Amino acid sequence: MKTLFREASLFVSKVNRQHIQLFLLVLTLSLFLLGAGAPAAEGGTGGMTGG
Amino acid sequence: MILLLAVACGLVAGMLRARLQQRPYRIAQLEAIELVVLGVVPQLVAFHIPGTAARFPEALVPPLLLISQLLLLAFVWLNRRRPGFWLLGSGVLCNLLVIALNGGWMPIAPQTVAQIALAPQQWQAGERFGLSKDRVMPAEEIRLAFLSDHLVLPWWRVAFSPGDVLLAAGVFYLLWAHGGAQEDIKEV
Repeated sequence: MKTLFREASLFVSKVNRQHIQLFLLVLTLSLFLLGAGAPAAEGGTGGMTGG
Repeated sequence: MILLLAVACGLVAGMLRARLQQRPYRIAQLEAIELVVLGVVPQLVAFHIPGTAARFPEALVPPLLLISQLLLLAFVWLNRRRPGFWLLGSGVLCNLLVIALNGGWMPIAPQTVAQIALAPQQWQAGERFGLSKDRVMPAEEIRLAFLSDHLVLPWWRVAFSPGDVLLAAGVFYLLWAHGGAQEDIKEV
């Protein structure tokens, strides 16, 4: 448990502002694409549409 | 899902470009991200979360879709000076146009359904295609059919539109540009 906590702390300390910005950028773009044209159309027995 | 591959490929290409040119991968902050959240969360409820999508009234799909597309277009406009956003905007416009002219649904022809569905005979014209934003429509009745979901990848049961191609190109270019010089990504 102590080891796990220490490893988590080390990981969090390595996450810097740029990582967070990159994550937000990718998340924003992914959401944008999902809304603008990337639904997963489950056609019952299969098939997907991209927009 | 296919469009999310463009995000992955663009990110890899951009980071590779930065590494090869010995530059840091620069990230510009996008404006008005809240418009994306406002535009997409209702779509998640209506199309993507099975528990809510199955219960979402079909009559509300067209206005929801149109309003969310307009919010995404506003997001694009506010970020229009960023690289790739003209492509993204063109993609949104193409999809918005064909959706608006076809009763608020993305039309998909039975011939296209036949290429991607495992049991195409179960889909009749006038029916919603699964829980998606698509509606099966006779090809001759689709307005601006060339902008509809008619492009198909033979190895993947996916139908997409030319607007989706522009969206993929836009996001790829945006992420690739961030691996270049500062001049490539700053506002012009």
